[in-house]
Amino acid sequence: MRLLNVVSFCFMVASAFLLYSLNYDTRRLESEVQAKERTADLARSDIAILKAERSHLSRPDRIDTIARAQGFGPPRPEQLARPGVAPRGTEKPRLAEGQ
Amino acid sequence: MRRGVTITPGLAPNKVAAPTRVHRPFIANVMLLSTVVVAFGAVAGQLLYLGTKSGPQLSIAVTEQAATSFARPDIIDRNGRLLATDIEAPSLFADPAILLDKDEVVEKLATIFSDLDQTDLRRALSDKTRRFVWVRRGLSPAVAQRIHNLGLPGMAFRKELRRAYPAGELAGHVIGSVNLDNKGTSGIEKYIDDVIGVEAVHSATLSDRAPVRLSLDMGVQHALEDELETAFRRYHTEGAAGLVLDVKTGEIVASASIPKIDPSRPGMAIDPHMIDRITGGTYELGSVFKTMTIAMALDEGTATAATVIDVRQPLVSGRFTITDLHPAGRPLTIAEVFTHSSNVGAGMMALEAGPEKVSGFLKRAGLLDSMKTEAGPVSPPQVPGKWDQLELITVSYGHGIAVAPLQFATAAAALVNGGTKVVPTFLRYRAGSAAAPATLVTAETSREMARLMRLNVLDADGTGKRADVPGYRVGGKTGTAERADVGGYQKKAVISSFLATFPSDDPHYLTFILLFEPDGIGEPGGQRTASTNAAPVTARLIRRIAPQLGVAPQETALTE
Repeated sequence: MRLLNVVSFCFMVASAFLLYSLNYDTRRLESEVQAKERTADLARSDIAILKAERSHLSRPDRIDTIARAQGFGPPRPEQLARPGVAPRGTEKPRLAEGQ
Repeated sequence: MRRGVTITPGLAPNKVAAPTRVHRPFIANVMLLSTVVVAFGAVAGQLLYLGTKSGPQLSIAVTEQAATSFARPDIIDRNGRLLATDIEAPSLFADPAILLDKDEVVEKLATIFSDLDQTDLRRALSDKTRRFVWVRRGLSPAVAQRIHNLGLPGMAFRKELRRAYPAGELAGHVIGSVNLDNKGTSGIEKYIDDVIGVEAVHSATLSDRAPVRLSLDMGVQHALEDELETAFRRYHTEGAAGLVLDVKTGEIVASASIPKIDPSRPGMAIDPHMIDRITGGTYELGSVFKTMTIAMALDEGTATAATVIDVRQPLVSGRFTITDLHPAGRPLTIAEVFTHSSNVGAGMMALEAGPEKVSGFLKRAGLLDSMKTEAGPVSPPQVPGKWDQLELITVSYGHGIAVAPLQFATAAAALVNGGTKVVPTFLRYRAGSAAAPATLVTAETSREMARLMRLNVLDADGTGKRADVPGYRVGGKTGTAERADVGGYQKKAVISSFLATFPSDDPHYLTFILLFEPDGIGEPGGQRTASTNAAPVTARLIRRIAPQLGVAPQETALTE
């Protein structure tokens, strides 16, 4: 009987320790999950802002102005051709020196 | 458990009383229980007090409506380019109950917000019963940092969702706007609230819904807006508007109205001068309406393109006399009535067909009924109350009937796409998503209309010759409508328009350009007619957008 009591006591102490450890681990994991969720939220927010910024920088009126400043313009009809009917150039493509 | 004895007082010391067994644990338990009961009683009493006392200072503003925001899906164009998205932004609020010095707060905030209504804020902060007062929402991070640096107790930030429009004013009328709570109030933004759905959130939680893909093409939209703005300046117009429509699917590839509005400034749309002239106004469109009259005549079999009618005499109806702007002085074929834009010819065709056929055709074309798109209702058409002789004549050349440009363009699309009616949409078309198509005219009539429109651009005497773009087979019809005002029609206040389609051999796109009250500056004789302004604007537009839309120039097109 005494042995049973001792074993039960030890089991109780071990269970309590185990429970304490589990509780502690759970809280730690919970805080880790929360930290990761915060990081993910922050990343999502950053991505949304970056997407908006990229779109703002590539908006057509800005690209149009930059392209025209570089001497570009909308393509003219004579600049367009389908691959099968593209006129062959009479000159061979010139390679850069050293190639 | 320990057990003790007690000595009964009053007995002689030499007489020890028999030990009496007293239940000390019982006393301890009673004391403990009493303590617990008193403690819980105190808590319960306090709770009861809090629950029954309805003092406003005790109600935390957890249900404050202003604390709710709405997470919205992104809006993208047909190629996936971003037009609208939600971003996090700090918003400033105050808790008047813990504010130390409201005057100091107001004065310091006024140094940052120059437009701050100090009286209003001071009054709001004086109400100590409130625990939540918005001060300014949707701040930039830099401004938020400056406020934070002021170190004002009772002021705090809350992250909220704020709608951002990275493309600026591009397609502002179509996209619409949202209010401070990020809820759609007009345009596609309102459609998202009504049909697609938004999530109410209490923090800056981004929506995980799929983006809303529009039919608009940002590149084409920009080209349209750019050309319209150029025309707006060049011709000193009161306004300009235009659209590009896919005649096969009904997709609106671009739609613009000048002056533009900024979707991030909702107040701009209230100004009547800034309305969306494509859907928000109805206009007498003038001679572009002859496309309807001639299509009706061809389809009803009352005439062919080769039918000759005598247009030398003006039409007289009551006290009104209808003449041509440039009388031909000879009989004209129906094709020539179209290319010369003869009012007399169109009127004669309408009289020949009669009121039932004319009104029936316009009804089938959808020009007499209200229309709605995802961006909201289209202004309802103003149609004649009766179809007498005068109304038949004037409607035949686009007067006496006022419709929204989008409604007219939609009807015109069916005249050139093989005869099938289309439903205009601002959403990307998905095959099989539309109802069974209805037919407006026969395929033969449609081909003939496309041919006549092309002829109007190719013909040396055609009113649309300045709309030609080599390679892209443009066809079209001009319209110059005098605007009605007190005392009659104004000769110098016109709406110039050009309805075009390309490529004419198999029409795929339709453009409709309108210039409101252009000056004749820079044109021979100070002309204001559409052939001198709207037609060349259309040519410049098509030259820019045709490559973007994948229309190959004829010179290089394969005949496979």
